[in-house]
Amino acid sequence: MMAASVESLGAPSRPAAPVRTGRWGGHPTHLAQQRRWGALMLSPTLLILGLFTFVPIVLTFWISLHAWNMLTPITKMSWVGLSNYTNLFHDPTFRSSLLVTLVYVVIVVGITVPLSILVGMLLYFPRVRGKGVARTVLFTTYVIPTIAVAMVWGALYAPSYGPLAQMFHAVGLGQPTFLSSPSSALASLAAFNIWQMLGYYTVLVVAGLTQIPGDLYEAARVDGAGFVRQAMSITLPLLRRTTVFVVLIGVINAVQVFDPVYVLTQGGPITSTTVISYDIQRTAFTYGLAGEASAMAFSLLVLLVAVAVVILAFMRSR
Amino acid sequence: MAFPRRTTSSRARHPIRSLVASVLALGSGASAVAAAGPSSASTPVTVTFLTHYAPPQVAMLQAAATAFHKAHPGISVSFHAVPFGNLLSTLTTQGPSAGWTVANIYDLWLPELVQSGLAAAAPANVTKAVRTNWPANLVTDVTKGGAVRGIPNEVDLYALNYNKALFAKAGIASPPKNWTQLVADANKLTNKSAGVQGFGVITSWAAGVVHPWLSLVDSNGGSLLTGTKPNLTNPRVEAVTKLYAQLVKSGATVASMSTANANTTGPYLDNFAAGKTAMIIMANWWEADLKAAMGSHFSDVGVAPIPVGPSGTKSSSVSYSWLTMVNSKASPAQQAAGWQFLQWLNSPSSGKNGSSAMGDVLMSMGILPSRLSDVAAHKAQLSDPFLRVYVAELKNASPFPTVLGGEQMTDTIQTALESVIFGRSSASAAMSSAQSQVSSILKQANG
Repeated sequence: MMAASVESLGAPSRPAAPVRTGRWGGHPTHLAQQRRWGALMLSPTLLILGLFTFVPIVLTFWISLHAWNMLTPITKMSWVGLSNYTNLFHDPTFRSSLLVTLVYVVIVVGITVPLSILVGMLLYFPRVRGKGVARTVLFTTYVIPTIAVAMVWGALYAPSYGPLAQMFHAVGLGQPTFLSSPSSALASLAAFNIWQMLGYYTVLVVAGLTQIPGDLYEAARVDGAGFVRQAMSITLPLLRRTTVFVVLIGVINAVQVFDPVYVLTQGGPITSTTVISYDIQRTAFTYGLAGEASAMAFSLLVLLVAVAVVILAFMRSR
Repeated sequence: MAFPRRTTSSRARHPIRSLVASVLALGSGASAVAAAGPSSASTPVTVTFLTHYAPPQVAMLQAAATAFHKAHPGISVSFHAVPFGNLLSTLTTQGPSAGWTVANIYDLWLPELVQSGLAAAAPANVTKAVRTNWPANLVTDVTKGGAVRGIPNEVDLYALNYNKALFAKAGIASPPKNWTQLVADANKLTNKSAGVQGFGVITSWAAGVVHPWLSLVDSNGGSLLTGTKPNLTNPRVEAVTKLYAQLVKSGATVASMSTANANTTGPYLDNFAAGKTAMIIMANWWEADLKAAMGSHFSDVGVAPIPVGPSGTKSSSVSYSWLTMVNSKASPAQQAAGWQFLQWLNSPSSGKNGSSAMGDVLMSMGILPSRLSDVAAHKAQLSDPFLRVYVAELKNASPFPTVLGGEQMTDTIQTALESVIFGRSSASAAMSSAQSQVSSILKQANG
């Protein structure tokens, strides 16, 4: 289209140099106009992202290079270079909180993702009434504020007199410890997270299932494939993008866990539930070590980006 | 993670007043703040009072503020209540931007607030009132950097709380006076089939773990620090951790019954209130919580001094205090109004029957007031069976050391003790590890 217009202006007849066109082609003036409009339309988002994402990240990194307790003006921070980062490697609490977070992520993601796929398939495929209600009920747990739910779960988990303990007792399972023991506290918090997030991930899975063409299942059924064969050969492979997304969101969500730890365990017993976000909060706001806390936060960001890159690379490699 | 700063809106709205106030403040420091009080009465000033008190106590404070406002129409006081667990973070995040004008703080936090320039020096009239009307040790406690930084209010200390009904059932006539009796009684009171533990401890709450333990250390002739150096591996200190290990091993202390939550209540309290814990070392302030939880069974609660250890000579408890301070980042008019309100709130003219309004608030929770006239005004209440032991033991109490890095030190000791309580570490190993970590923390914080 571009070459034709140049020829019409009487230009020498020679092979036209490749002309860069916009995504949809078009005259350079239109292209410039489109770019200006594009920039204008994107600018609010970019401004918000810049203000609320990029600036805080840069500021956090800047603070991580200083010693500061947040009680004095930010201009009075003292420069310590990378020592906050080098100290992290020797900090047993930080190492422990990283390990606790990793275990928590493995438990939560390892259970939630397969479970949400299973529940999603059970909610999507059968032609039964009330599926919408079931999805809504499942999603409700995600909508309720975590603090409020955590308080309810605190009562549920109460040793000896809590309803769950009473149920254990009634069926002769002895006294459960839940949040009261370093052996079970993290798993109890993970159970809470799984309960709360399952509905959200299930909705994502159902959305992914709607993208799979129905005629594939029809052809499979004609070929005599049953539910399991269809699930293994059609559903799971074609649900891969959604699954990767759910894993990514699940990992990020699990790494960021804070509210139930803060409300229910305060990082204990011992340090069994001291996850990285709680450690960062405590270091900054209780100990007044904002530089160290910022170094922890920035390290966590780098770690999360690395994990996201690995997950996405894995997806593309398949 | 962002650390936004907020500009002080009053300064932006009233530049001239702000300029005048700034000149006053720059010219003569705290006395200028005092001078700004009466002059600012014509311009409405709002004082924001940050506290961790529960709704009934906030309502009492609100009533006092309403009465104060009638006499001082230019000053309004609004209250911002947060759970104890959120108080320090709220102080930190909102203090530099003057989000609060006055705050009720734990004395352990004062050194850092003074070092950061957030704790305003009291004006001369408040300093004089504090020095005249409070015990000398508390005046020392609130005096940092050569100036009084706040008005003391509550004093808390620890004692052995025990269930008299369980003692009677076990045939024990009186509470233990020493550790030998403590261990024997704890084992005798333990009834595994009924889910009763003889001696309860607290976990998941730093002060709840460390203070009772340190009270036993004090009663064993030990001390937590010498200057800014920890004594955690001292035999008198380590002996308490070994005592815990012994009680856990025998089953007289059940770790899973010890949990506290962010509101400093939870299973440890519920177990004592439900008669599942026979003995526990706790502070006087939980009287109100116990009454609420136990109802008529509160009469089963007995209180006794901390049992004396084999190396100790007398019962002694850790004590700590709270104070109300003024934010130096608030406008001079707000600071002056804040001091004016605090002085009134803590004076006999604000409360009932010669007590200050703050004294009345504290006594409603079973907390010992510290102003001498408040102690006299509440003499009858302080003589009740629960509080009188605490009052009697006050003279033997040792203040918890207020040093820079104190919070981190407390958390580290908490972790060490919990590792023993949950059987993850031996007493010696836990104390040795804590000694090393606390030394490093205090060295870094105090230089």
